[in-house]
Amino acid sequence: MTIVVGYIPSEEGEAALATAIDEAQRRNARLVVVNSSKGDQLVDDRLIDAKQYHELEARLTQSGVDFWIERKSQGIDAADQILQVAEAQRAQLIVIGLRKRTAMGKFLMGSVAQRVLLQAGCPVLSLKASNDW
Amino acid sequence: MSEVSTAKKKRVELLFAAFLLLIGIIVFVDASQLHSTYSQADAIGPKAVPYIVSGILVLSAIALGITVVRGNLAAGEEGEDVDLSQPSDWKVVLPLLGFFVLNLLLINWAGWVISGTILFFGTAISLGSRRWVLTLVISLVLALGSFYGFYLGLGIKLPAGILSGVL
Amino acid sequence: MDTLNLLMDGFASALTPINLLFAFAGVVLGTAVGVLPGIGPAMAVALLLPVTFGMETSSALIMFAGIYYGGMYGGSTTSILLNTPGESATVITAIEGHKMAKAGRASQALATAAIGSFVAGTIGTALLVTVTPIVVKFAVSLGAPSYFAIMVLSLVTVTAVLGSSKIRGFASLGLGLAIGLIGMDPVSGQKRLTFGFAPLVDGIDIVVVAVAVFAIGEALWIAAHLRLTPTRTIPVGTPWMGKEDWKRSWKPWLRGTAFGFPFGALPAGGAEVPTFLSYVTEKKLSKHPEEFGHGAIEGVAGPEAANNASAAGTLTPMLALGLPTNATAAVMLAFLTMKGIQPGPFLFENEPDLVWALIASLFIGNTLLLLINLPLAPLWARLLKIPRPYLYAGILFFATLGAFSVNMQVADLWILLLIGLLGFALRRFGLPVLPLILGVIIGPMAEEQLRKTFQLSAGSVSGIWSEPLAVGIYILIAILLILPMLISFIRRSRGIQSDLVETVLGEEHEPAKHKAELTGEKEQRVGKDES
Repeated sequence: MTIVVGYIPSEEGEAALATAIDEAQRRNARLVVVNSSKGDQLVDDRLIDAKQYHELEARLTQSGVDFWIERKSQGIDAADQILQVAEAQRAQLIVIGLRKRTAMGKFLMGSVAQRVLLQAGCPVLSLKASNDW
Repeated sequence: MSEVSTAKKKRVELLFAAFLLLIGIIVFVDASQLHSTYSQADAIGPKAVPYIVSGILVLSAIALGITVVRGNLAAGEEGEDVDLSQPSDWKVVLPLLGFFVLNLLLINWAGWVISGTILFFGTAISLGSRRWVLTLVISLVLALGSFYGFYLGLGIKLPAGILSGVL
Repeated sequence: MDTLNLLMDGFASALTPINLLFAFAGVVLGTAVGVLPGIGPAMAVALLLPVTFGMETSSALIMFAGIYYGGMYGGSTTSILLNTPGESATVITAIEGHKMAKAGRASQALATAAIGSFVAGTIGTALLVTVTPIVVKFAVSLGAPSYFAIMVLSLVTVTAVLGSSKIRGFASLGLGLAIGLIGMDPVSGQKRLTFGFAPLVDGIDIVVVAVAVFAIGEALWIAAHLRLTPTRTIPVGTPWMGKEDWKRSWKPWLRGTAFGFPFGALPAGGAEVPTFLSYVTEKKLSKHPEEFGHGAIEGVAGPEAANNASAAGTLTPMLALGLPTNATAAVMLAFLTMKGIQPGPFLFENEPDLVWALIASLFIGNTLLLLINLPLAPLWARLLKIPRPYLYAGILFFATLGAFSVNMQVADLWILLLIGLLGFALRRFGLPVLPLILGVIIGPMAEEQLRKTFQLSAGSVSGIWSEPLAVGIYILIAILLILPMLISFIRRSRGIQSDLVETVLGEEHEPAKHKAELTGEKEQRVGKDES
């Protein structure tokens, strides 16, 4: 049993990660954390650096779940990345964070979350940042 | 680096040296066809400098050829956004050139607003942009904005092409 | 006190609201392009050339000056925050500055770089004011032979002294000179290298060449090798310095200025050597030599000041003799040529308003840079997040637009494409760009002087060395060409590494070493990321 979570260092990302860890503990599932960047910006703070990687690793170890971190620095966009990993790992659940966006913003920028929701082959759990609840 | 790829690199660079040599020869031939009439006012005439330039090109082409054969290969120019560990990615460059030429062919007939939109949209997509809608909106805004900006701000009338009644 | 009056007039013209606005725009734009990956001040000025065609010359020049100084400021910001020196002159800043930033002293590094740049830029501009009129007075009396010799000197030094491979430098120069030949010969009226192609008769527009080489060639080159591994900036607050930092910075600023200006003013100087010399000196004089290599503030303050002072110095030969020694100055000169203004010693006489407004705007731009950028540093770092597809598509878009709008000829776009491809080839085969662009600009001017020389001497070759200064310069050229070879020969045969040889040759060897260190560190970082 595998859960895939899309993670970026932001409030939404943290909310998704926290829930994913809970969920993994409850279901006794393996957790695959996906952090990726399309690599189209010279500087991309959504990609975790070595320090954040180690913190993430420590946090997951502490939670006691069986985990795997998938960090991709170049190539495809986040939605494709999550979907691809989910398929390859035969995930039972995908957890993602949602950002508040206006309709126009979504029209222009596209939405990672929307594409994951529409195209995923398994249930998707989506969360807003905890202080938006 | 395998020996095969070094040999290939050498061949490509020798090709470039040959190109330099060719330019040098063209400059020489072109200069030799000028007719110089000796006059006090222009003692060396129009030929002298082209001959010197041709000399610089031919000599540096030969010298480049020799250093390349000896194994002194070029290092591509570095930059803050350049990753030289990969070979040139022609899958990106060729579409860029294609869109550039497309713009050049379209600009007078279709007008800058259309050809410029295609230029920006096409090159941005070739460079890996995947937000189609946003890219298209930016392309249109840039093309329209520059058309009116040049017209109103600088008094330069870019070709309106088939939209000439509309804009 | 004549100079002072002229300078005051310059201030009066530069301080008009409209010119102040252009100075402001230039400074902001310059910093932005300095920060943005892949765009430099030379490219920015080249892209703006067509737009400025209809503008007041002085306003455009004031804006360019702002871009020139702003570009350097932006460049040092990224060197400190990202460790990606955009040009060789900021390599040293990247070494110490980035270490400082990593150690949590990014604010201090940015502050000492900014204030040091201001100090050096202001002193450098003041030196420019004092030195340039003297050079002009001297240069006006020069005849064609000396003038030709000076041009040859600048071409040879840019080609052979700066840059790593002399052969590739001369190849690039040859290509530039060949492009400069295209068109009708002004003396005999014969067409050269036009191949019966009508749009070539007037010669290739310098704007098209500049845009092609700096924008199209560069964009294609970057597109072919786009770095796909994102890096991260070090978060910064507003730059500030403590008392201790001030104490450790002010002397390096002044010493860096002292190194930078003369090197910039020399036709062969450049900014690389003085930044390096400044770094070495600071390391020797420092009470904390052990901090060097781990983020010593002196190692940022000195080289940054040297870099900016050399930028001011570079304007001396450009304004006094019409000889640019770096890419941005070359494009600015192209702008003057485009406007029909003859660069050279008579510029001060013919266009005093223009020149002094420009110089005054340098002071103003420098101050604006400090005022705007100290509080804005964190904002600039955000520019690095612009998705590159838009950035480079934008460069191609505006390059096309600009080159086309000059004459509204599709033929210009073909030329733009061909020379742009040539610019790509230059970068691919390790040919420096600067000799080419200088060849295009200076080549025709040098030919004119050469033919004048022969006219004066009635066709005798001896005319070339008929002035003592010319003779001196040819000897200097010979020394410049032979000395490095000689030294490396002696060095190899004796196998010694004495201090003297080290300092003389430092320019050739040390930056290379530092570059290696930098790339080494980069690889390490990438390695860490993948773990």
